[in-house]
Amino acid sequence: MTAIEVQGLEREFKGGVKAVQGIDLAVGEGEIYAFLGPNGAGKTTTVRMLTTLLRPTGGRALVAGHDVAKEAAAVRRQIGVALQEAALDPLMSGHELMRLQATLHGLPRAEGRRRADALVERVGLGYAKDRRVGTYSGGMRRRLDLGMALVHEPRVLFLDEPTTGLDPSSRAAIWDEVRRLNDEGTTVFLTTQYLEEADQLADRVGIIDDGRMAIEGTPAALKAQVGQPHLDVCLTDGANDHAEGVLARFGEVRPGIEGVHFQVTLAGGAGDIAPVVRALDEAGLAVAQLNLVNPTLDDVFLAETGRHLEGDQDTGEVAALSLESG
Amino acid sequence: MSALALELSTIGVLMRRALNEILRVPGAAIPGILAPSLFMLGLTGAFGALTELTGFSTESYISFILPVSLMQAAGFAGAATGVNTVRDIELGWFDRLYLAPTPRPALLAGIVLSAGFRALLPMTAVLAIGLLLGAHWPGVPGLLIAILLALTFSAVSASWTVGLALRFRTQAAAPLMQASMFIAVLFTTSYAPLELLTGWLQTVASINPVTQVVEGVRQGFVEGVSFAGTWPALVVLAVLLGLTFAFALRGLATTGR
Ligand SMILES: Nc1ncnc2c1ncn2[C@@H]1O[C@H](COP(=O)(O)OP(=O)(O)O)[C@@H](O)[C@H]1O
Ligand SMILES: [Mg+2]
Repeated sequence: MTAIEVQGLEREFKGGVKAVQGIDLAVGEGEIYAFLGPNGAGKTTTVRMLTTLLRPTGGRALVAGHDVAKEAAAVRRQIGVALQEAALDPLMSGHELMRLQATLHGLPRAEGRRRADALVERVGLGYAKDRRVGTYSGGMRRRLDLGMALVHEPRVLFLDEPTTGLDPSSRAAIWDEVRRLNDEGTTVFLTTQYLEEADQLADRVGIIDDGRMAIEGTPAALKAQVGQPHLDVCLTDGANDHAEGVLARFGEVRPGIEGVHFQVTLAGGAGDIAPVVRALDEAGLAVAQLNLVNPTLDDVFLAETGRHLEGDQDTGEVAALSLESG
Repeated sequence: MSALALELSTIGVLMRRALNEILRVPGAAIPGILAPSLFMLGLTGAFGALTELTGFSTESYISFILPVSLMQAAGFAGAATGVNTVRDIELGWFDRLYLAPTPRPALLAGIVLSAGFRALLPMTAVLAIGLLLGAHWPGVPGLLIAILLALTFSAVSASWTVGLALRFRTQAAAPLMQASMFIAVLFTTSYAPLELLTGWLQTVASINPVTQVVEGVRQGFVEGVSFAGTWPALVVLAVLLGLTFAFALRGLATTGR
């Protein structure tokens, strides 16, 4: 069964801004789907339509089998939502907010209290649950907001940029929680500006740019479309004239700096790294540096839109292996 | 949970949140207390001698003006609810409410009824100051009727200003909210009985339904309570609450989406 089904979804704001211009997508039950795109791409607008906060001006969307425009209440009962700006009352404590959320979602008092207790622990805020939220850090707020979105055990969870602006360890904590929820069967639709986040978490990624879906697929398939993994080989200076011949056994070779630097497309993927090192060693060639270069989602974005994803600090290349040898 | 229980508990948590805010930011209550108290003191000082005119049902002007200040306090408390609603919309707090499966009227009722909490402190201050300065003791029934009517008026004011908040969605609408309540109470028989008003003010005061409410709140302080003095106020409040609540509900359902 599909958890989310979207056809030709559009939103035009007053003043003629077309934030979302005909999006189609389908997310299966139990999937993690990442909506990846730069600032202003239309991610939040899409999430707000899918969560019944904003009316589509065109197309239609079913969430958990219900039409977001016509059966909003039924949709709301099935979804959990953590929006980009976690709306938390700074005067209330984490535990009070969690209980308020439980009541808003129809849990009886005793059960609400039990869920609230369990969830503050689950998102790692047990130690701060009685403190006013105004004193929480950004990461703590996000975790609380995520916990609040779970209070009624939703089938489909929407997370709008759940880790934007967070430090790496807070980000990792959110990722762990998202994976755990997904393992328990929750479908997750998340938006992000971070390539790594989409790559790490998502079963499938849709790249959105200027209100349109640029391309969609599994992270591996998208990256495979733009190129193969290759090995950057740097040799120490010396008599390296037979190096190209040795490397050619593993795949197509493109020489960089004459006799020192080569790029080899690894037909056998990362598994070829060790054999390459051995072959070079046996041929008496000393390796100065070795980098496995994988295509990234940024390369995919670049190929589709002609631009880099802004706001992303990744260098673009994942150095999976870098070794010095003498 | 049954549907009714869910609605009642939603109203309950939203009212508790408002109470929480009142208790944890006590300073925020000061303008709401000062404005109607100063209004009462200022008018009594300026126009105290008016009661010597024939037509006044009391010779104590402060007894005449104290009920108006109670209404001002209730109206301002309602307007504060509207102003807070704008803030809650800007903060995204309203999205949390929208995302709840609770029926929209319950969400709105929780917000609107919490205006009563906001009105309690200013109303108490006005009553205490007025009675200390010699206003007539209205008797327990007169006091209860005055409080009931004024609290209901705070809910009317809250519905109206929350409705405005949901349409304007900006702090710039705050003066409109406050001014509309100030005017609604002022353009009545607030300063003087209808017979003594002249010209356009008399016309406006006689049409303005809030006049009935002011008279209903006032009756115990100036002459004594009666059914005839109470029912017009109740009818007016019921109609106003119905209209303003519908206005706010429409805003909740349609705008900003
Ligand atoms: N309420 C609104 N009125 C007018 N334009 C809007 C509104 N909300 C968003 N937009 C515009 O729609 C586009 C997409 O915005 P948004 O969905 O927030 O993007 P993202 O979440 O991907 O950063 C932007 O150009 C933004 O300025
Ligand atoms: Mg956004």
